[in-house]
Amino acid sequence: MKPQRIDLRGARSVGDVAKRVLETRLSEVRALAGMLDRREWPGLHDFRIACKRLRYALERFEGLDSSLALAADRLARLQDDLGEAHDRDVLLTILPPAMGQTQRRLQSEREACVDRAIMLWGEVRGLMQAIDSHHF
Amino acid sequence: MERARLRFVRDPTEKRLHVVRTTGRRLRSLLEDVGDVAPRRDLLKRVKRAAAATDAARDATIVLRLLENNVTSSERELAQPLFDRLREKEVAATRDACRRLRRARFDK
Repeated sequence: MKPQRIDLRGARSVGDVAKRVLETRLSEVRALAGMLDRREWPGLHDFRIACKRLRYALERFEGLDSSLALAADRLARLQDDLGEAHDRDVLLTILPPAMGQTQRRLQSEREACVDRAIMLWGEVRGLMQAIDSHHF
Repeated sequence: MERARLRFVRDPTEKRLHVVRTTGRRLRSLLEDVGDVAPRRDLLKRVKRAAAATDAARDATIVLRLLENNVTSSERELAQPLFDRLREKEVAATRDACRRLRRARFDK
């Protein structure tokens, strides 16, 4: 999924730039958050990529406000969990059918990864509300 | 990014591949965020190409490690052909990534 273009014309300060970038990237994440409930790719992948873009933007601007680092950390963990889930999906597609025990283990781990990501998203959502009303 | 690329092509280890990929992702994110006022389309294209060049190597390594860590002892023998295939793929894909990144440049 392509990132949205960010209109930075007329931005007068780093704070202005931060606000516009974060607002845009946050709206992308929110638009895709419903994919978590479906628990399937490629929806989860799109959501993960949007989280990654938001996380990098948060890290870039955390010098302006240290609270951004906490949201970036939670997004990094969420991204890791979704990445781990996807890696298991990839392995499951090439695993020999006779390996039932390994298959069950991977499937159960995969679901646990998605559960953790859902929990982390709850935390991130709370942190994002603070960013919404933030003035840099 | 250029430093990460050079380090990888000199000695293509798993860790150095990871650094190339994470550095590339950060650079790509920055270029996309400020593209409106500071467009660097050519550089963005090269960064995307570098990511694509390393995808197969990364995937093979990750899946191989995952299989090593998850296969049950009773099914290890059944997994052996898959282990062999993934190891071959990892070596070939890393060699290919190295060859493609040898020609890339990010300092201009």
